[in-house]
Amino acid sequence: MLKRFVATALGLTLLLAAPAFAADSEMFKGKTITYIVATGPGGGYDTYGRLIARYLQKHLPGSRVLVRNVPGAGHIVGANTIYAAKPDGLTIGMFNTGLIYDQLLKRDGVLFDLTKFSWIGKAADDTRALMISKTSPFKTIDDMIKAKAPIKFAAAGVGSAAYNDTRILADALHLNVQIIPGFTGNEGEMSMLRNEVMAEVGTAESMEQFVKQGHGFFALALSGDAASLPGVPRASQYVKDDRGKRLLALVETLSEIGRLTAGPPGIPANVLAVQREALAAAMKDPQLLAEAKKLDLDIDPAPGDQVALRIKAALNQPPETVAALKSAAGG
Amino acid sequence: MHLDVAFATLFDLLTTPRLLFLMAIAVPMGVFFGSTPGLGGKLGLVLLIPFVYNMDQLTGAVFLCAMHAVVHTGGSIPSILIGVPGDGPAAATALDGYAMTRKGEAGRALGASFGASTVGGLLGAMFLGLSLPILEPIILNFSPAEFFLLAILGITFIATLSGDSFVKGMIVGLFGLMCAFIGLDPSTGSPRFTFGQIWLWDGLSVIVAVLSMFAVPEMISLGVKGRAYDISAETAAKLQGSSPSAEPVSRKVTYAQIFQGMADVAHHKWLVLRCSLLVAAIGVIPGLGGDAAAWMAYGHTVQSSKHPERFGKGEVAGVIGAETGSCAKEAGSLLPTLFFGVPGSSGMAIMLGAFLMLGIQPGPTMLTEHVNIVWSLIWALVIANILAVIMLIAAGPWIGRLGTMKASFLIPYVLVFALLGCYLYGGIWQNLILVMVMGSLGYLFKRHDWPRAPFIIGVILGKIAEDSLQKAIGLFGASFFWRPISLILIAMILASVGFYLWRSRRSNKAVPSHA
Repeated sequence: MLKRFVATALGLTLLLAAPAFAADSEMFKGKTITYIVATGPGGGYDTYGRLIARYLQKHLPGSRVLVRNVPGAGHIVGANTIYAAKPDGLTIGMFNTGLIYDQLLKRDGVLFDLTKFSWIGKAADDTRALMISKTSPFKTIDDMIKAKAPIKFAAAGVGSAAYNDTRILADALHLNVQIIPGFTGNEGEMSMLRNEVMAEVGTAESMEQFVKQGHGFFALALSGDAASLPGVPRASQYVKDDRGKRLLALVETLSEIGRLTAGPPGIPANVLAVQREALAAAMKDPQLLAEAKKLDLDIDPAPGDQVALRIKAALNQPPETVAALKSAAGG
Repeated sequence: MHLDVAFATLFDLLTTPRLLFLMAIAVPMGVFFGSTPGLGGKLGLVLLIPFVYNMDQLTGAVFLCAMHAVVHTGGSIPSILIGVPGDGPAAATALDGYAMTRKGEAGRALGASFGASTVGGLLGAMFLGLSLPILEPIILNFSPAEFFLLAILGITFIATLSGDSFVKGMIVGLFGLMCAFIGLDPSTGSPRFTFGQIWLWDGLSVIVAVLSMFAVPEMISLGVKGRAYDISAETAAKLQGSSPSAEPVSRKVTYAQIFQGMADVAHHKWLVLRCSLLVAAIGVIPGLGGDAAAWMAYGHTVQSSKHPERFGKGEVAGVIGAETGSCAKEAGSLLPTLFFGVPGSSGMAIMLGAFLMLGIQPGPTMLTEHVNIVWSLIWALVIANILAVIMLIAAGPWIGRLGTMKASFLIPYVLVFALLGCYLYGGIWQNLILVMVMGSLGYLFKRHDWPRAPFIIGVILGKIAEDSLQKAIGLFGASFFWRPISLILIAMILASVGFYLWRSRRSNKAVPSHA
């Protein structure tokens, strides 16, 4: 009896909710949504951003989703722009999760609070890994740990996510690393081909091609599960002290929430729900998946509420971790 | 060598109506983007990328390449006719091209520029096609140490390009270098000369520098004068160094003038060959970039000329050198983009993104598995260059009217597009104010006869020099210049400086012939 009652009640609720929901999903009819990408055109963020924008448009019937590139100051300008936008759901966008570092380090220019963004979802895991050049004398991560002389690493500019990841790895594993900063795109890999630097830390996805070509190998996975980089030793096995573990956990969180989509704080709950729904639907769209496969982009989505929780957790660091991060990133 | 593939792909391109049709659309688009000051090829690529999304790999890549290939050919038009270059390389063309226009030789300058850019584009592409098998070792032999020395070599050209006053040139050049250091310090990440403004973190953009040194000053001075270039026999005579009774200068661009300009290209065949090879080689080395390459070609042209004092005052060789440089570099910068995924110029950085979207994965396999794409793109550059020159020669006399347009039409058109482009590219509104402030400075330079080219060289090469010096010291220590190629480059730098000193001493002793 009770069961039937519950079922009927549930059915009725759904029935009543359905038209309401249908009306909601039409709320962007005739509206133009600006999707901000915090980098210049070309490159990974732009590719993901444009792909997501096109399928958001498909799943928000009657809407137009336009991509706008707002590059500058390593994603900070783009994130500031999204944060300051009117919270009507018509301005959303994507930036590097590495901004968590910038907020923890209280970097100049940061005008946002990541915990307050309206999180719509994420599209991928950015598994971080250490890649060593095939021509270097180091055959395993253990060789590197034992090395006495400084080992040259290529990294992007000082303060970038890749630079901070490298510093954290060096700190947590007590590696003697000399970072040569300022390598953008594939320049670091070219420097490896020239035998100048021995290794770099980055997302596995961006280095995969170089490994496939036989020029380098993954020596250590900093994040992700065992399935993401099979057969590659994991950083957690090598980190013994608390400080190192805390830093590594931070990298882990950063890696899990890659290619995220966010809007300014205060988007009304019903609007946010529709956008989350649309992004989730886009992430399952077979056409999007086929295109992503063609472009060699990983899709590993998570809904906005989960992203919000993980961002909060990542930013809720004890003072010791922040201090460790500060000394790792600054030293 | 894959000669069979090379010719098979050419045959395919020429016999596929769809590809030819797309190239025929792409070429006028490229000319339009290039010739509208402020828009430029990069913006063109950004706007076209969404359209290639549904094309197949080859079609999309050929379309974008053809568009990009002719941007510089188009860019020479406003540089020559109204003295308003749209980007760094075009500014080199403006130096002599606009001076020629003021002498009444607009048609000849256009002809020389069309001819030089086509031949430069062809030679550049051919050189690279032939060097495909040895490309990898060449590229890999250049490290940050060499980039640094190449940048220094380029900076020494500031002296040559200073015109009459070495001191003025040095002051402007050093000011340009200082402006290049605006932004985040590459070794510490801390902001430098940014005055608390976050939009300055990424430094001064070359586009802003070029527009404020050339577009804005030219438009202000046009406004002051009241009409487009007005050539009285008197000024022409002053510029040419002959007596004022010279025959009146025609403003019209005629086919005869255009062909005269093209004949000049043939006359300077060795210069064209040297510049093409030099620039294709520099363009191929990622790290120095195409913007620098065009200036190196211009610097070389001035330095190797018997009459360096004529440059900047309407010397046709200056147009030829600069244009050959601008166009030969495109093929050069395409190859590192394809083989290493490291773009050889700022335009190629956007092209790289487009390639990835089309599913073209740059890497050494391009040479083994996708060599047909490589050759198709090289041929696309060649065909686009030829198409562009045919179209431009045919339209030459009409294009020439741009130079005689009334100032009241020209000024708003140029300024609106210049500011629009300035804003659209980075999306930074503050750049609009910066262009106005620095543009006023540029006008003062122009009015008081201070050279403006050294500023552009300083801005372009300063960043490269600093970044590669930091890397070179980090990688090799302070003794980085003992590498073999570095030693050759140091010898070239010393020769360049020594040659300049020797020549200026000699010309001081000689009776000045161009008083």
